[in-house]
Amino acid sequence: MSALLHIDNLHVSVEGRKILNGLTLEVRAGEVHAIMGPNGSGKSTLAYALAGRPGYEITAGTVRYAGDDLLALAPEERARAGLFLGFQYPVEIPGVNNVYLLKAALNALRRQRGLPEVDAFEFLTLVRAKMQLMHMEDSFLSRAVNEGFSGGEKKRNEILQMLVLEPRLAILDETDSGLDIDALKVVAAGVNSQRSPERACVLVTHYQRLLEYVVPDFVHVLVRGRIARSGDRTLALELERRGYDWVAGQAA
Amino acid sequence: MSGAASSALSARLRADYASAAPALPASGAARRRAALEALAAAGLPSARDENWKYANLRPLERQRFAAVAPVAPAQLPAGLPAPLAGAARYVFLDGAPLAPRAAAPRGIEVTPLSEALGDAAPARPAVRPDERLALLNQAFGADGLAIRVPAEVDGPEAAPARLELLFVASAEAHSGASYPSVALRLEPGARLALIERHVSAHEAASFVSSAVTVELARGARLEHYRLQELNARSILFDTLAADLAGEASYRLHAFNTGAQAARSTLGVRLAGERAALSLAVLALGDRQQVQDAYAVVEHAAAAARTEQVFRGIAAGRARVAFNGKIVVAPGARGTDSRQSLRGLLAGAEAEIDLRPQLEIHTDEVKCSHGATAGKLDADMLFYLLSRGLDPEAAQRLLKWAFLEDVIARIALPELRRQIEARLVGQLRDEALQELL
Repeated sequence: MSALLHIDNLHVSVEGRKILNGLTLEVRAGEVHAIMGPNGSGKSTLAYALAGRPGYEITAGTVRYAGDDLLALAPEERARAGLFLGFQYPVEIPGVNNVYLLKAALNALRRQRGLPEVDAFEFLTLVRAKMQLMHMEDSFLSRAVNEGFSGGEKKRNEILQMLVLEPRLAILDETDSGLDIDALKVVAAGVNSQRSPERACVLVTHYQRLLEYVVPDFVHVLVRGRIARSGDRTLALELERRGYDWVAGQAA
Repeated sequence: MSGAASSALSARLRADYASAAPALPASGAARRRAALEALAAAGLPSARDENWKYANLRPLERQRFAAVAPVAPAQLPAGLPAPLAGAARYVFLDGAPLAPRAAAPRGIEVTPLSEALGDAAPARPAVRPDERLALLNQAFGADGLAIRVPAEVDGPEAAPARLELLFVASAEAHSGASYPSVALRLEPGARLALIERHVSAHEAASFVSSAVTVELARGARLEHYRLQELNARSILFDTLAADLAGEASYRLHAFNTGAQAARSTLGVRLAGERAALSLAVLALGDRQQVQDAYAVVEHAAAAARTEQVFRGIAAGRARVAFNGKIVVAPGARGTDSRQSLRGLLAGAEAEIDLRPQLEIHTDEVKCSHGATAGKLDADMLFYLLSRGLDPEAAQRLLKWAFLEDVIARIALPELRRQIEARLVGQLRDEALQELL
C-alpha cells in the first residue's frame, strides 16, 4: 500500500536559518507516528511546513500527500484535503465564535467533497457529542475562539476541532505540553477515538508521557533537522532513560 | 487664515446670506446674523488647523451656503429604512423637519427650534472653535427641532422612550446645502433612546451640515445611536455638542459607514460630578472615502468617567481618522478615562490616522490610552486558513471580529440587526449573513 504522506529529503529555512536538513519520512494510513527530539531540533518547523505556514521556506525536497504534491497546495487547500494541524500555541481570536469557526471549517470540507452544507441541528448534535468526549462545557459554544481559555482548554479545543473535522492526517504539535494528567488522558482519549485504518496521525512531542496513552506504531528522533533514529515504542522508553544526548551523540 | 482668504470667505458668506435671507423666516433674523458674523470672523477650518487636518475640506471651498429650497413632503422617497418598533419617528428632508409638531410619546415635547430659541440674538453665539460649522446651521438653516424629555414617570424598570430622527438628503449640492438642527434636552432623571440616521434618498450628491446639541440634566440617561449611511457621493459635516450635569450618563454610538467624505466633530463636556460618557465610534472607509472624526471630552468636574472606543477599517484608497482628545480641568479629581483606538489597514493605499491626546491639569486621575493601527494579524489568519477557510472569508471574518467591540455595545437587538446587516453589506460578504 502506498504511503499517505511521503516526505523526501525535506529542507526548510525560516528567516534564512536552515532548520530541516534532509528529512525523510513515510506515514501510511492507519499508522501513528511519534516525532520526538530536543528543543530546536525542528519538530514544530516540520509541523508548520506541512500545514503551509507562510515564512517556512522549502529549499529542497518533496512532500507527497495522498498521491498529490502537498507543497503545491495553499494552506486552506491542504486542510480541505484532510490535513489537520493541532497547534502548539492555539491562537486566540476575539470576536470569532467557536461554533461559527467549527461550522465554517466543516462546511469548507464538505463543499470540497461536493456535499451540501451541514444541517444546523445535526451539526449541534455532532458538536455536543464530541464536546462531551472532551469534557467541555456547553458555555464553550458561545465563547470566542480560544479567548481567555486556559492552556488545557486550548489543547482540548484543538482536539475537538479534529474530532469534528475527522482529518485523514492529523499532525499534533506538542498537544501534550502544559497538560495535567487528567487533561492528558482526555486529550489521549480524543486522539485514540480517531484511530482507524483510513487515518494517520503524527504526534510531535518532547516527552514520552503522551505515548503511554496514545501508543505509537513508530517513533522517530529528530536531531538537527533530520531523523537520527527510528524505532518502535520502546525507542521512546529508551530515550526517556538515556536522554536526547544519547541520540544526538550518535548522530554527530 | 490669511486676510485675503478670510475676506474672500466673508464676502462669499455675506453674498450667500443676502440671497438666502428673503426665503428665511423673519423671526430669528438677529440670531442668524450674529451666527454669520461669528463665522465670518472665525473663518472656515483649514487643513492647517491641527484638529482638521484629516478631514476633506475641499467641498467647503466651492459649496454654495444657501439652504436648498424646501421640497414638498409628498416627494419623500420610497425605500427608507424600516422604522424601529416602538420608536416615534421624525423625518427631516434636506434639513427641514417635515412634521415639527407631531405628537411624541410619554410627555416628550417636540417643537420648532425657532420657537424654543425665540427671536433675540445671543450676546455671542456659544460655540467652541472646533464646533464653528454649527454656525453655518444657525445662519442658513430655516428651522430645526427642539426636543425636551421630561423626568421619567414610568420608573427605572420601564424601557426608556425611543425617538428616531431620520435625516434624508435628496438635493444636489449645487442647488444648496442641507442644515438639519436638533436641540435635545433631558430633564433631571429623564431617559431616552435616540436613533439618529443620515441617509440619501437617491443618488444625489448632497452637501449636509448637521448640528445637534445635547443637554443632560442631573441624573439623565441618554442612549444615542448615530448611523451615517449617506450615499457615496455625498458630503457630511456634523457637529455635536453635549453637556452633562452631575450623575448624567451619555452613551453615544456612532456608525460611520456612508458618504464620500464625512467629518464628525463631537464635543462633550462633563460638567457635573460623576457624569459618565461612553463614546464608541465605528468607521468603515473604502474606495476614496474619507471618514474623519474628532472627539474632545472635557472633564470639568470631579469623579467623572469617560470611555472612548474607536474601531476603523480603511480599504481601497480610503482615509479613516480618529482624533480623540481628553482634557482634565483643574479640580477634576478622580477623573477616570480610558481610550482604546484601533485601526485596521485593509488596502495597500489606505490610510489610518489615530491620535489619542490627553491634557491633564490636575492630580489624582486615572487615565489610560492605547492606539494601534495595523494589518490583520498573520497568526489569526493562518489559524483560520489551516481550518480550511478561504483567504477572503478568513479576512472578512477577522474584520468582523475587529468591529465586534463596538457592535456588542448596541443595546437594542432590532437596531443591532439592522446595523449588522449594513456592515455585512459594506464588508461585501454574504457568508457573514450566517453570523446574524
